[in-house]
Amino acid sequence: MNWNQATYLMREAFRTMNRQRAVTIVSVAIMSLSLLILAVFLMITDNMMLLMDRSKDEMKLYVYLDDGLTNEQMNAAYNGIIRMEAVDELVFISKDEAFAEFRAQLGEESELLEALETNPLPASFRVSVKDVYKETATLETLASTIGRLDGVAEVNYGKEFIERFSSITHAVLYVDMVVGLIVILSSLFIIANTVHLAVVSRKETIEILKLVGATNRFITTPFFIEGAFQGGIAALISLAALSAIFGAGRNAVPGLVFFSPDKAVIFVLVCIAMGALGSLAALRRYLRIEIG
Amino acid sequence: MTAERGEEIRNIIGIYHLSKRYNEKFALDDINLHVANGEFVFLVGPSGAGKSTLLKLIYMDDFPTEGQVIVGPFVSTQMKRSKVSLLRRKIGVVFQSFRLLYDRDVFENVAIAMRVTGESSYEIKKKVAQVLTQVGLYHKRNEMPSTLSGGEQQRIAIARAVVNSPAVLLADEPTGNLDPEVTEEILKLLFHINAGGTAVLMATHDLALVKQFGQRILFLRDGRLQEDKILGYKGDLSQRLERIQKDPGRFGPGWNPGTK
Ligand SMILES: Nc1ncnc2c1ncn2[C@@H]1O[C@H](COP(=O)(O)OP(=O)(O)O)[C@@H](O)[C@H]1O
Ligand SMILES: [Mg+2]
Repeated sequence: MNWNQATYLMREAFRTMNRQRAVTIVSVAIMSLSLLILAVFLMITDNMMLLMDRSKDEMKLYVYLDDGLTNEQMNAAYNGIIRMEAVDELVFISKDEAFAEFRAQLGEESELLEALETNPLPASFRVSVKDVYKETATLETLASTIGRLDGVAEVNYGKEFIERFSSITHAVLYVDMVVGLIVILSSLFIIANTVHLAVVSRKETIEILKLVGATNRFITTPFFIEGAFQGGIAALISLAALSAIFGAGRNAVPGLVFFSPDKAVIFVLVCIAMGALGSLAALRRYLRIEIG
Repeated sequence: MTAERGEEIRNIIGIYHLSKRYNEKFALDDINLHVANGEFVFLVGPSGAGKSTLLKLIYMDDFPTEGQVIVGPFVSTQMKRSKVSLLRRKIGVVFQSFRLLYDRDVFENVAIAMRVTGESSYEIKKKVAQVLTQVGLYHKRNEMPSTLSGGEQQRIAIARAVVNSPAVLLADEPTGNLDPEVTEEILKLLFHINAGGTAVLMATHDLALVKQFGQRILFLRDGRLQEDKILGYKGDLSQRLERIQKDPGRFGPGWNPGTK
């Protein structure tokens, strides 16, 4: 295909859409709306993933030690933990430091602590884990391994919080897939339908094109352009609507973020590809007859 | 006529033991014939004789049940679907119903045949203007076909068929919908195009019309080729044959279905 043909076919695609303008507008509108629903879900997921990532940064193990350990026993526990592959950083917090931290946290009410005769807080290690090991399952085995070391009283890592959060994220991802599937299938159907109408309305033209020596590619290209264009426009409209919703939602939910530019571009590209695929569905029968 | 033809005549169309059946019924039955480069041939026969079917097999809209059609370098038995478009660019086809694009103006109706080949818009403008002048409709280039008379519409269809300088022009009852005066105009146009080197094969059921012009005539009846003769030719036959023999043809030297 040369430049003359490419520009001609581009014009033909827009000519067809213009000719059946009402059908084109309705199908783009319906598609924009369903893509908007998908985009809302994707944005919620995206935000949860970001939140999850950020909470992973804070993911630490708190290793509480038995009272009355000797320095040697504490050193042995320290060396036992630091040797572990998953451990990135290890900070020791003595009984006194823990008490001071606690006092600082209580602020004005710290007078209450004066009543205590002994320091009830244990000494502890704060264990940072390497990023690749920040999975619930890994943390669990790590915690139980550390828990079996001599002198360790208890290991804590916010298990419940992490599990609940990741199960919510999984549920949302599941909903995303279902909504995505429905939206993509219905968009494919809508595009296939408009392109099918365009093919039918151009039946005579197609016959004549074949008669004067048009290749199948020449005949089908405008329909692919039409589908891809409608998919792309619907994606842009749904993103614009999403950003309006986002503007309102940001006040209600602080910290809400919009799609990053690269994710928005991927969303549009996927919709363009989906549009071309919808055209292919409409042309499949035609192509099977003609190319055989 | 057949006896006079030697190997030195270059043929544009060769047809060999061609049969076409539709549901056991023969539309064409063991047809053998050649059409030389630059020749003008009438294909005559009553309705249902198989004229349209024969033309269809030549522009390869359909394929033979048995036998072979050869057009220039294109051989029906070795034809790939993807090659049909290349054949169509070397063949012009005109029908009784003009088959125009009624949502495009006259210019675009002719230009479409060059759009598919990827010509530049400069080339298209030049060539379309040239053929529209040839068919006498350049002044109507911006009008819509539906505003034109039947004869004018057929001339646009002919312009479209010849704008790529085809090796052969196939016309299936091109005057079937037209008045006698207009019919004569169209035929004169076809002869004029033929004089420019394009072979013409025109199907018609109107024997009287054919006798009036006089040319090589193929008589078709019930799918069989009954006669192949020159009828009422008014000029010098040997001169005519000489012109045909000298014609290099639009596919260039080296292609000769007649010698295959
Ligand atoms: N697509 C087809 N299916 C079945 N029969 C056909 C088809 N095309 C042509 N025929 C039959 O073949 C015969 C020749 O038809 P056609 O070539 O159209 O004749 P003509 O053009 O000389 O009037 C007719 O009997 C017709 O009914
Ligand atoms: Mg017919």
